[in-house]
Amino acid sequence: MIRPHDSIIVQTLGRFLIPVVQIFGLYVLFFGQYGPGGGFVGGVILGTGMILSVLIFGHDASRSQIAKKVLHGDGVGMLIYAGVGGLCMIGGGEFLNYANLEIPGLETASRRSLGIVLTQIGVAVDVAVTAISIVFSLSAEDIIEDSING
Amino acid sequence: MSHQLPAILFLLPLFAAISMPVVCLKHRHWCQPISVAILAAMVPVSILNLHNVIHHGEVRYVFSGWAVPLGIEWVADGLASIILVLLSVLGLLGMVFSGPTSPKDLGGRIVHYYTLILLLISAMTGIVFSGDLFNLFVFLEVAAISSYALIGVAGGRALFAAFRYLILGTLGASLYLLGVSYLYAVTGTLNMADLVDKLPFLLSSKAVVGGLLFMFIGLGIKMALVPFHSWLPEAYANAPESISPILASLVTKVALLAWIRIVYWVFNASILINDIPILLLVEVAGALAAVIGASLALAQRNIKMIFAYGGISHIGIILIGISQGNPTGFVGGVFYLLNDSVMQAGLFFLAGVAFCQYGVRTIDDLGRIGKQAPWFTGSLIVMALGMIGLPPTGGFFGKWHIILGALEAGNYVSVAAVLLSTLLTLAYFARLFENIFRQTSTRSDAQSGEIPLSFKLALGVTSAAIMILGLFSSPITQLLLSHALPPAL
Repeated sequence: MIRPHDSIIVQTLGRFLIPVVQIFGLYVLFFGQYGPGGGFVGGVILGTGMILSVLIFGHDASRSQIAKKVLHGDGVGMLIYAGVGGLCMIGGGEFLNYANLEIPGLETASRRSLGIVLTQIGVAVDVAVTAISIVFSLSAEDIIEDSING
Repeated sequence: MSHQLPAILFLLPLFAAISMPVVCLKHRHWCQPISVAILAAMVPVSILNLHNVIHHGEVRYVFSGWAVPLGIEWVADGLASIILVLLSVLGLLGMVFSGPTSPKDLGGRIVHYYTLILLLISAMTGIVFSGDLFNLFVFLEVAAISSYALIGVAGGRALFAAFRYLILGTLGASLYLLGVSYLYAVTGTLNMADLVDKLPFLLSSKAVVGGLLFMFIGLGIKMALVPFHSWLPEAYANAPESISPILASLVTKVALLAWIRIVYWVFNASILINDIPILLLVEVAGALAAVIGASLALAQRNIKMIFAYGGISHIGIILIGISQGNPTGFVGGVFYLLNDSVMQAGLFFLAGVAFCQYGVRTIDDLGRIGKQAPWFTGSLIVMALGMIGLPPTGGFFGKWHIILGALEAGNYVSVAAVLLSTLLTLAYFARLFENIFRQTSTRSDAQSGEIPLSFKLALGVTSAAIMILGLFSSPITQLLLSHALPPAL
């Protein structure tokens, strides 16, 4: 059970900080192709943003609802990753060979770039969900239990 | 399309595992049918893959198109494809069996339970196909972590057993990883085919010997080789009835297969490595395991413990077979591995039926089952024939080839170990039958109701498979001789 933090400073700062953290996470995720960054780090930052909102506003607050909804998403990230790989196989190449991602009007280089971005999104979703579920399972097992039992 | 088959075999259970939490979120009762359907799809694909490998040679599949040694390679050769057929058939049977026996009090966790089983199956596929030492480690860990969780599901004593397995299994995985890093430090590559090119010039290096020994001990813990076996009996005896057949028949055998791969395909096993006769070491360990495992089985009263120790002794017999350094022994070992997987699955199906249908856990209660259970007693007799190794069953031909191989190599101690372990096996099965047919307990509170179709199916198919492996032993050993022999032999 995580209660809302009672300091007004923390609450106000959190309101400003969390959106910035989330946007930075997205930036790191999509910037991964051109420089340092990528799915794992981006996912950690996105997850951290949601963990921050749970720690500041408590897990019953409306701001934390998204974090609780996300808990159902374990597997979705992997599914995106494997789905992209499967599309490459349908395109005639090996698993995850992005050159065979059959999207009309795209050159090979763009296909590879798109493939990487899509798989990295999958990785980011999975890492974020894992980070959140670790926090929830350490703090309040009944949330996990509720989410499992629907 | 046919070159994609090895990847498809791996991806089918993986896809199903990761989509299970999403698909079955609202419909829990879909889990088991979906898992059965996936495994049922794997069976024809694996047979097709075997057919393809036999007729067109081995398939080397490179993930994402990166060329080896940088890329991750899947090697579907004869041995791997044969094992894959076995894995998918036994996985399917285990999944059919797990319907009525799966733990009842799991609630929503049943979704995760089936996710873990499918992950375990895909990880074992990965171990069999992997052409890369590090990926082998990754899949060993995925399989191990799934098994820890699956064993612990039942709670109570199972949690303790699972924790013990976790400690020892992690130790084994670490030692294996240490061995891999030694080899990597010396050769600078992890790809098996690449190692084959580089190792012959480095066999005098102490790091290579150290790495190989670390890998042997690490995989020895994983395959429950005596004296590293202490985690296995408790873990399998306390695991839920529905999962112990899959664990007992496949997990240890797949680790053994990884060892066969490393010692015969990566290292050329017949060469002395830095004056250390690796094969002799494996053979002695195998002989000890064969005798000690069977003796310990004699001392047990819990049915599942007896079968678990029987499995430990059979790991030793397989190791004796593959370490003879001649084709006869090797083929015998691999053929016995196929048989032993089927027999272990069958025995743990029996133990599951005994508990779920008749409420029997120890041999003292076996008298309650006796005459009113033709399916149970009938398949127990077939399994016993197979475990002891009497002629119409596959167990006989496996042991026969192993003994022939040992005689060919002049290793009479191994022959003695195989025969002694056979005698001990006879002894503990005699004890089982004595308890079944002797009407000690007059209580007839055992439910004499009809046993479910899935139980009949699991028991019937494994018993039939033991017989079929025996009756068709000559074409199967021919197939192994022509397609599954390592290049060194």
